[in-house]
Amino acid sequence: MAEQELVTIEINGIELQVPKGEMIIESAKRVGVDIPFFCYHPRLGKGQAANCRMCLVEAGTKQPDGSVRMMPKPQTSCSLPASQGLVVYTDTVAIQKARRGILEFLLINHPLDCPVCDRGGECPLQNNTLFYGPGVTRYVEDKRHLPKAFPISDYVVLDRERCIHCARCTRFSQEISGDAQLEFLKRGADMMVSTFQDTEFTSCFSGNTIELCPVGALTSRRYRFRARPWDMKSQKSVCTRCSNGCNIWLDYRPKRLVRVLGRENEAVNEEWTCDRGKFGHEYINSDRRLLSPLVRQGEKFVTASWAEAYQVIASRIQQAVRAHGADSVGAIGGAHLSNEEAYLLQKLMRVAIGTNNLDHRLERNQLAGGDTLLTRFGVPFTQTAIADIERAKTVFIIGSELVDEQPIVFLRARKAWYRFGAKVIIAYPEVTETELRFDEPVVLRYREGTEPVLVAGLLHLVLSSAEAGSRADAVWNSVSVYTPERVAEETGVSLDALREAASLLGEGTVFLCGGRVRNHAEYPTLVRTLCRLVEVTGNAGRANGGLNILLPEVNSHGAADMGVLPDMLPGYAPVGDVGARQHLERLWNVSLPAQPGLSSQAMLERAAQGQMQVLYIVAEDIAQKYHDPALAQRALENAGFVVVQDLFLTETAQYADVVLPAASVAEKEGTFTNTERRVQRFWEALDSPSPDVKPDLNIFAELAVYLGKPIPVFSAEQVMEEIGKAFPAYADCHYDQMPPEGIRWQALTRVAESREKATQLT
Amino acid sequence: MAELRVLFKDIDIPGIDTLDVCEQNGGYSALKKALGMTRQQVIDEVKASGLRGRGGAGFPAWIKWNGIPKDESQPHYVLCNADEGEPGTFKDRELMMRHPHQLIEGMVIAGYATLAKVGYIYIRGEYTEPARVLRRAIDEAYRAGYLGKNILGSGVDFDLYLHMGAGSYECGEESAMMSSLMGERGQPRLKFPHAPLPTIAGLWDCPTLINNVETLSCVPSIIRNGGAWYASMGTEKSTGTKIFSVSGHVNKPGNYEVEMGTPLMELLELAGGVKGKLKAVIPGGSSVPILPAEKCDVNLDYESLQAAGTMLGSGGFMVLNDTVCIVRFMRRTAAFYAHESCGKCTPCREGTRWMLKIFDRILAGGGRQEDIDLLLEICDQIDGRSYCGLGDAAAWPIRASIKHYRHEYEYFIEHGYSVVESKEAVTV
Amino acid sequence: MSEAIRLSDYTHVRRLNEKEPPPLRFSERAVQELERIKRHYPTKRAAMLPALWIAQREYGGYLPPEALMEVAYRLGTSYAVVEGVASFYTMYNKRPVGRVMLEVCTNLTCSICGGYEILRYLEQKLGIRAGETTPDGQFTLTEVECLNDCGNAPVMQVGNRYFGGLTPEKLDALLEELKQREDHTVVQLADTIVQVHLPESDRQEIERALAGAQAGNEEQDEQNG
Ligand SMILES: Cc1cc2nc3c(=O)[nH]c(=O)nc-3n(C[C@H](O)[C@H](O)[C@H](O)COP(=O)(O)O)c2cc1C
Ligand code: SF4
Ligand code: FES
Repeated sequence: MAEQELVTIEINGIELQVPKGEMIIESAKRVGVDIPFFCYHPRLGKGQAANCRMCLVEAGTKQPDGSVRMMPKPQTSCSLPASQGLVVYTDTVAIQKARRGILEFLLINHPLDCPVCDRGGECPLQNNTLFYGPGVTRYVEDKRHLPKAFPISDYVVLDRERCIHCARCTRFSQEISGDAQLEFLKRGADMMVSTFQDTEFTSCFSGNTIELCPVGALTSRRYRFRARPWDMKSQKSVCTRCSNGCNIWLDYRPKRLVRVLGRENEAVNEEWTCDRGKFGHEYINSDRRLLSPLVRQGEKFVTASWAEAYQVIASRIQQAVRAHGADSVGAIGGAHLSNEEAYLLQKLMRVAIGTNNLDHRLERNQLAGGDTLLTRFGVPFTQTAIADIERAKTVFIIGSELVDEQPIVFLRARKAWYRFGAKVIIAYPEVTETELRFDEPVVLRYREGTEPVLVAGLLHLVLSSAEAGSRADAVWNSVSVYTPERVAEETGVSLDALREAASLLGEGTVFLCGGRVRNHAEYPTLVRTLCRLVEVTGNAGRANGGLNILLPEVNSHGAADMGVLPDMLPGYAPVGDVGARQHLERLWNVSLPAQPGLSSQAMLERAAQGQMQVLYIVAEDIAQKYHDPALAQRALENAGFVVVQDLFLTETAQYADVVLPAASVAEKEGTFTNTERRVQRFWEALDSPSPDVKPDLNIFAELAVYLGKPIPVFSAEQVMEEIGKAFPAYADCHYDQMPPEGIRWQALTRVAESREKATQLT
Repeated sequence: MAELRVLFKDIDIPGIDTLDVCEQNGGYSALKKALGMTRQQVIDEVKASGLRGRGGAGFPAWIKWNGIPKDESQPHYVLCNADEGEPGTFKDRELMMRHPHQLIEGMVIAGYATLAKVGYIYIRGEYTEPARVLRRAIDEAYRAGYLGKNILGSGVDFDLYLHMGAGSYECGEESAMMSSLMGERGQPRLKFPHAPLPTIAGLWDCPTLINNVETLSCVPSIIRNGGAWYASMGTEKSTGTKIFSVSGHVNKPGNYEVEMGTPLMELLELAGGVKGKLKAVIPGGSSVPILPAEKCDVNLDYESLQAAGTMLGSGGFMVLNDTVCIVRFMRRTAAFYAHESCGKCTPCREGTRWMLKIFDRILAGGGRQEDIDLLLEICDQIDGRSYCGLGDAAAWPIRASIKHYRHEYEYFIEHGYSVVESKEAVTV
Repeated sequence: MSEAIRLSDYTHVRRLNEKEPPPLRFSERAVQELERIKRHYPTKRAAMLPALWIAQREYGGYLPPEALMEVAYRLGTSYAVVEGVASFYTMYNKRPVGRVMLEVCTNLTCSICGGYEILRYLEQKLGIRAGETTPDGQFTLTEVECLNDCGNAPVMQVGNRYFGGLTPEKLDALLEELKQREDHTVVQLADTIVQVHLPESDRQEIERALAGAQAGNEEQDEQNG
């Protein structure tokens, strides 16, 4: 990073040094000077809107002779950049008067419905009026009357009378989310916020506008009239709705989650969330939650005590192991568990039962992550930090409806383009929501399934424009037949588009690959070509470049890291690797099965043929969500014994013999590892809906006891300490020392090295 | 007492709006001369002329020209402000309709001096007649090689486009004009640095020179005759000539080009004298403070008018006789600004509408004496705090009218009708 | 409770899908014009105002929602943004208007020189209030801000022309004339503005392109026929 030039300025007589160009409203914070504002928001705008005029200050510049030349008009500090010798007064009589004036103007048309307004208690307009406002109004005319609160989507209610026209919401929708669905209509005092023709506000980031609105003009339908800010407690958490790992606040009252707000984390979500995150945690409050263990009796479930449930499970497992061997038992799930729980699940299976039959993967391609990326780049799935995406020169989105699959990664990609001028290439067989959010990206509309040809063609083009010398090698040979003409023919992408895209692939290209890449039938070839493309374009070791196979679930990455895989131990050590196994055998004080276990697919296939004695399904509704639901259903029907551990009586649970009620993310603590390898903590907020609902962690530990092979744990924290020993990439993740932005584990320079290090640790 | 015609010198020559006639009368000779000068020499000539912006603010033109970065790392633009929306002003209309090549020539010279390869003339949507004249003239100029690539073999390129507005006074404000040209709502924007200084980050964040039609139309004669020649006219600080659009209660309304510093009363006589008894003059468009008859003994230049408590503004010179009811007249002014406020910033959006509501109440007979001071205070709360000059412009005339005609307000409020028995001032 | 309001109670709330192109109505000429105009600016978005003028012409003098959608689609921006722009400017008609618009200036100079009398006279004569359209769809009467031809006060804009120095007698004659004429209509105004944007070279290219398309069509017809 270039050194930032500092300038000396003076605020209310206090001299300070700030980066040149910093807005004075920010500089004032440095010396504890409060400047009231409405429209200012540090993340909005290439420049600021500076339209509410609340942040006025008096400003001048120091002259060489030491005198100060004041500017004739007060200035808005939100758009006043710091420059050498700037002198600012924030609290003069004139400024106090100006603020009163602005507030009086804002209030003349603002309804006096604070007592029934959701913003009450946390309303900047209310607060600023209290501190800076006039006591009485001189306005005797009619106030502006508009239709009162009405919904503009399932989530958002608009009350135009309350709007103070700060333009935060419109700027957000145009600059950040990019769907531009909110805009002002008309002008002057008739100006009002609107969607197009009052149609539904379908942005998948709509919830952020609720938080941005400094008054109660945009409020949440879900939170409406549910609580007052002062009645709630807040707990820090991490969103579980996709693999981005957005930081959130859970606002709750005893036993009830009331709302979710975005929590700042510069490295991940800045402060945004998508609507799935903000409104998708309602399930926690559901009155259909499981409240106690259930055991099947004939066609019915009956409630049981935990002891009964464990006994049934343990005896069936022991029976199966005795009669058919440990490999007749298998577990599916883990991508929704915390790292600690995932780790414990695999330990339960490997140590207490003695099988490698465990898998967290439900998609058609069951990526182990070990394959190409790990050996080449030392990371299983993703090279680029989310925050570094914004520094990319080119963003290449391939096979992903990014807005939907990875909303927060999308926001960074858009920021790279909107704020920093990155070029954007989007490859997808259909028109995507994502491409509409960029102005004229290069679009590669390939025929479904032709991704490998497309990527090979790009590699061909990139190589053929490189120096002739570098062409003769194996890489060139692998793609030499993919001439642009042939690729255009096979993929249906025009030659021009191919050439344009190839010309943009240089140093600083971030490749973002989504579901269509992950689940491509020829994934290994595809990903190998992608790796080569990344290497050839000089992005293998760059911060603002690299290959990223984005993952589907909140803890897909963590589950893989923890070895919830049939062929990999924690830390991606192959089950067959003697050294790695011995390391863990020493750590766990057992001997481990040396044969790889069954993948989800294999387990389900076996089960469908009646060859699995016990299936243990943890926090996954496979009957619905498995890529081949019919197979999953047949498997569940034909398995000898099915245990389902979940929050709800899901469709999968209907097939169960025993159902175990698990705690939600709000009711326990732990860590998740997001798609960029960032390990982040979450904390317990609510009480469980019943004392009989337990965190998965406890369930695994207690079940091990019933199986006669205790795996002693007392807390998630303790498990994390052990994880650090099993997989040293996690060695720094001590609960008490976790930085607020979490820890992104470092690429393993050599995979073997990691194992050596691991061996030394024990 | 006479007109002094520089911009209007050739305006009566039949066919001067066509290229042939224009060329016969020296048209584009300034461009040829400028292309033979260095860019800095052109700017220095403008500096020597003392030319100040005729759009309203009177900012020295050369500072804007000189402040445009002198490298071509980014595209540069010249933007001609032909949005003439200031009530009472119609000089740009006549300049464009009658002498379009003068403006085009001025723009090419400005483009040459500021390294711009593209110019836009932003004309208000209502001005289809001047726009058509300009369209024809620009096409002619392209054909003759005064526009386009490699102008007159000099290697200089300059493309000139017409862009029309669609009904918004605010789009005359320079940053709002940029928003509008870029296809946005016509709201002012943060550009760097703030108006009126030279714009380094304007259109598409690139250096942009923005000048009014009249300002740019002055350029050819300045180049042709030299800056010193231009500066020899007018006063020391207000050089050259100025077109005043005289309207209202005069016998011969119209545009009159006079030397800067001409006594106000002389202009009135030029315009055929007042119809009836002079009550007041608004010398620079609706945005400037009103000047009561007793203060009309003043010269028409930036400094003198400022000293008299008003401004030269755009030169929209409105003459009011004693049939005009100031309260009603100001109500109409307030209505204009409330209607044209873009809505972006708080003081202007809320303040202009509030004032209008108070005026309407007064006119409907519901006024209270304290409303007068309230109006004054609302003016104070808008003035200097709004995003762009529209807020200030909404406050100044009302404040001045109360200062000079408070008794008319008091009378109106007390009786519910005007002190002036006026047929013509039926406004609501 | 939160569920007291339901989206379905609000019939005006429809879900719009911007991924699908809206119905498109621009003529071939309009498409050509817009393509040329776009080239005058470094961004497509800058062609917004001219595009709306084209739309106002193509959609018969006003901008129904479909027109805004078409403009958004052709400029690659969102519907809401286009509506925001269109609603900002007074000369874009958001509702259907008469064939001819009579836009009477009542701003400062005109107000003291009889602008309001002209407006009242027209209201009486046409039997409508300012802002309304005559039942036969001929005229829409509106009051406008300064047209900046104050030297000729009172002034009125009719389509692409100004008429100054108005008196009731002049108006009577003018109204009769306007009923017959096609060159000062609302549509004509929009077209004039569109044409003003097009340099000679663009106009020639458009004619050539249209002629080419025409010839192509005819060839097609011949082959088919
Ligand atoms: C509300 C407002 C409206 C304006 N309208 C116009 C206008 O119609 N025509 C114009 O030339 N300048 C207008 N201006 C002034 C311009 O902002 C700008 O100062 C001018 O175009 C600069 O050109 P000049 O330096 O040649 O005068 C307006 C300013 C404001 C604040
Ligand atoms: S709705 Fe809220 S965020 Fe949007 S402009 Fe109004 S006050 Fe600002
Ligand atoms: S916060 Fe500065 S103007 Fe709104």
